[in-house]
This record gives sequence, C-alpha cells and structure tokens, in this order.
Amino acid sequence: MSNNRVSRRQFLNYTLTGVGGFMAAGMLMPMVRFAIDPALQTKAEGNFVQTSQKIADLTEEPVKVDFTFEQVDAWYKSDVTEAAWVYKDGDTVIALSPVCKHLGCTINWAGDSAHPDQFFCACHAGRYEKNGKNVAGTPPLGPLDEYEVAEKDGYLMLGKKVANTLV
Amino acid sequence: MYFNVKDVQQFEAQKEFIDTAIVPLLSLKFDEGIKQSSSAAEYLMSLTAFIEQQFKGRLMLLPPFSYTEQTKSGLFVPLLKEELHNVGFKHVLFLTCDHSWTSLMDQIDVIWLPSIPLESMDKEVKKTVLEDQLKQVIPILSSKWTQS
Ligand code: FES
Repeated sequence: MSNNRVSRRQFLNYTLTGVGGFMAAGMLMPMVRFAIDPALQTKAEGNFVQTSQKIADLTEEPVKVDFTFEQVDAWYKSDVTEAAWVYKDGDTVIALSPVCKHLGCTINWAGDSAHPDQFFCACHAGRYEKNGKNVAGTPPLGPLDEYEVAEKDGYLMLGKKVANTLV
Repeated sequence: MYFNVKDVQQFEAQKEFIDTAIVPLLSLKFDEGIKQSSSAAEYLMSLTAFIEQQFKGRLMLLPPFSYTEQTKSGLFVPLLKEELHNVGFKHVLFLTCDHSWTSLMDQIDVIWLPSIPLESMDKEVKKTVLEDQLKQVIPILSSKWTQS
C-alpha cells in the first residue's frame, strides 16, 4: 500500500510534466501549422473548382457557368462567385473569363444584338470574338483571359486563370 | 470601382470612362426595427456590390450614406449630388430601400428597391434573387448611359 503512494515530489513531477507537455504542444501546434499552411494554400490555389456543368451538355454556343470558391484575404475569408463563358471547339472545352480587359466590367455573349456572335461589354461597348480576341477599334486592348479546364465524373472543373492561348 | 486606394488610382487615370456614381442611402434603426434594418442593410450592400461587379469599369460605388430617423435631416442629398456632378460624375444614382427618398425624385435620380430578406436564403437562391434585382437596375443604367 505504502509503495503505491504518490509522494509530494512525484505528484509535482507528474503534473508538471503533464502541464509542460500541454504547453509544448500548445506552442508547437501553431508553429507546425504556420510551417505547413503556406504550402497547403499554394496547392489549394492550383486546385480545380468543381462546377455543376456537365461536359456532355456543352455545345459550340458559349454558356455562362458560375462557380464558387473560398477566398482568404489576410484573415478575412469569403465565398467568391465567379463565372466563365464555356463552349466546345470540336472536342476541346474552352472557358473564358467574363472580365473585360478594358476596365473590368462583366461581359456577355451576344450582349449586343448587332453582333450576335461576339462577346459584348455594356460599359463602353467593348467587343470580343468567340475565342476572346478583342475587336480592334473597341476599348479593350487585350484578349479575354482563359481558365484551365479539367473533367471529373463528366463534370467541368475550372482551374487557374491564364493568359489567352487561342489568340 | 470601389472607393479604395487601388480603384481610385485607376479612376483618376481613366476618368473619362468612369462617369457614374452609385450612392447607397442606408437607414439604420436600433429599436424594434433593428432586425429589419440590418436585413435591409445586408440586401442593399449585396445588391450594390453585385452591380459594382457587373459594371466595375463604368461606375464607382461609394460607401453607404447611413443615417437614423434623427440624423436623416442632416443629410443633404441633392447637395451631395451637386458635389459629385462637379467633380465629373455625369450620372449620380442613389440606391435605397427607404421609400421616403422617392419624394426627392424631381431633384435626384433615386432607385427605390423594397428590401428582400436574403439571410434566410441559401447561396443559389440568393444569387438568383440578386440577378433578378439587377435586371431591374440595368435598364435604368443603360437609359442613362445612352442619353449621354
Ligand atoms: S470595361 Fe469593358 S469596354 Fe470598358
């Protein structure tokens, strides 16, 4: 019986090791997180976002596909909804950014009835051809950006925005 | 454009293209009306942000002018419109969920939209609602823009 008794010294030892352990863990965890997080984040940026658009339903006619992802701005997290204009060129799927290269308005396919086969920006009548090439003589100075595309289980996935590769 | 440093710099460089100011007029209530007031605030802020996203290159969305019943009379909206006109905004559009501003219709361009409780909707529905509301604002904007 007396063998099992915990002496004052032992008791303190146990508790302090325990507490010390917690403290060490408490200090290490955030450090480990900081060390790993940046790596995780860059990976997330390169990731593709799933959309609800079936690849099989795409045609030659551009359609607007919305997608949402989480954006972290310093410590402020928010859901951002973006869109892409998506169509098929033969078997290749092409996804263009809807952000006008002039001053950033949102463009629409066939938005101007006089040019039913072009993208139109209502802000200053900017126009783009189907492949995103800006029409000379309208305000935009460059072609529309493109999204990287992928397929998962028949659904369209959208990745990073890249400079137009078609023009 | 938002009223932040980055956008304002672009605005200064491209003034001739950004000719429209959007000014939200936001009524705040802190009594029994507080919940409804916060809901309207959320709606007005979401809708104006959506308008900004669509027409970023042509308009500047100002921070909301907020007031309570008591402080409202200190807000000289027609004066504000003058001020914005004088610095080069050809069109100044006030957006509000507060119906009382429609009485100034002959002095200012005000769009009154009854607020919709977005907080009870999921993301998808919310987006559809905002898109519908945007469709009401677009004709007003484009008629302004074709006038000039
Ligand atoms: S922002 Fe598209 S034409 Fe000016």
